[in-house]
Amino acid sequence: MCFICLNSVSFTYEGKKTPAVDDVSISFDAGESVAIVGLNGSGKSTLARLMVGLLRPQEGKITLSGRPIEEYSLPEIGRKLGFVLQNPSHMLFNTSVYNEVAFGLKWKGEKRREAEHICCDYLHYFDIWDLRDELPFNLSQGQKQIVVLSAILALEPECLIMDEPTKNIDNYRKEKLKKLLLDIWARGTGLIIITHDYDFVDNLCARKIYMADGRIMADEH
Amino acid sequence: MNIDIRTKLLISAIFSGMALVYQKIDYLLIILLFNILTLALFKIRIKLLLCIKKLLYMSVIMIVLQSMFVRTGHPLLKPGGICLLTDDGIIYGAAIFLRFIILILSGLFVLNSNISELTRGLVKLGMPFEIAFMIQLGARFIPVFFEEMGEILNSVQLRGVDMRKIYKRKVIKVYVSIFSPIIYSVWDKAEKLAILLELRGFRTNPARTYYREVCFKKIDYVIMILYVLWAAVFVGITLVR
Repeated sequence: MCFICLNSVSFTYEGKKTPAVDDVSISFDAGESVAIVGLNGSGKSTLARLMVGLLRPQEGKITLSGRPIEEYSLPEIGRKLGFVLQNPSHMLFNTSVYNEVAFGLKWKGEKRREAEHICCDYLHYFDIWDLRDELPFNLSQGQKQIVVLSAILALEPECLIMDEPTKNIDNYRKEKLKKLLLDIWARGTGLIIITHDYDFVDNLCARKIYMADGRIMADEH
Repeated sequence: MNIDIRTKLLISAIFSGMALVYQKIDYLLIILLFNILTLALFKIRIKLLLCIKKLLYMSVIMIVLQSMFVRTGHPLLKPGGICLLTDDGIIYGAAIFLRFIILILSGLFVLNSNISELTRGLVKLGMPFEIAFMIQLGARFIPVFFEEMGEILNSVQLRGVDMRKIYKRKVIKVYVSIFSPIIYSVWDKAEKLAILLELRGFRTNPARTYYREVCFKKIDYVIMILYVLWAAVFVGITLVR
């Protein structure tokens, strides 16, 4: 059974004539590593937002673990899917980097010592331990991106959907992120990476979906 | 019908002024009727029903509050000796509700126009350009502000926080934490915008020119006279009664 299933999904933004996503039918298996690539404005981000239930399709049906996505609440989706938005600033709302990473763990009911351990691991892994007491809004875009990634990865979702994860990251951290993603994928977490950074997903994702004008142009396995 | 923004401002001021002056429900209903007719005449599409539906909850609160503070009228609901609903309270509450709708529709009538046009109109009416420009920027940033707030709220929920199931005290805590990045983001945007404006030579020359000028046409004069006459007749009739 497929993990995320899209069946003839179309979506048009209010006031726009052409659909951002046009009659897309696609399925993602659990633990699959997929890259959705395409030029700016090809509908990649809209597709991701549809998959996590932030947008409702005007036509077609989306299912998550066999259940229609409308039946899930956002927190329920959040427990299954980890979604990293294109703009990291919209995902930061805590007073310190440490609290940002720990936020989801606390709400997940993780024990204090365990939560501390996970936070330390991610902050050290991405070399941002020194920034732990910093206000997240004062960080650079790249640092913000890393903090958001750490916060989402710490929750260990079944599948990670990342919208342009390498947008503001330097090459050193990009390589580290790639290594980590390969590692968590090997542990069974699914990856759906939306990007136009072909080099980043080249060795990382076995399946590549090419989008243009809201449609799927190619699906390479 | 394409009319000057100043004509729209005058019509909006007439309706808003009358809504504030009159208290009787029958008068307010007539003003509201003319307000809706005006919107229809100028083909302004507003999801009126949606707007009223959202205000309905507020109207119930208003009616209850009015009944609690208005001591006149017959009590209709008196649980445990506390007067919660009186007939006078309902009338006052309904009047305030109608006033709100008229004020909102009048505001929407102006805001439905091009925002740059509104700035030019305000400048022509004698408002300093800096203040008119601030109004323009404010109006442009309101949707962005709400969009960001929605985005952050979604992000909080996607990290497993179920706002419907948690205690009220915790909901407040979550909302407080959401407001800090929003305030920061607004502050940051304002600062960046100020720098950008300076870089593009904002206020370097006091004699500012405009690519598009706003000017009255014959139709504007006709409409303004008609609305002023209507307001005068309405005031006259209500004074006689």
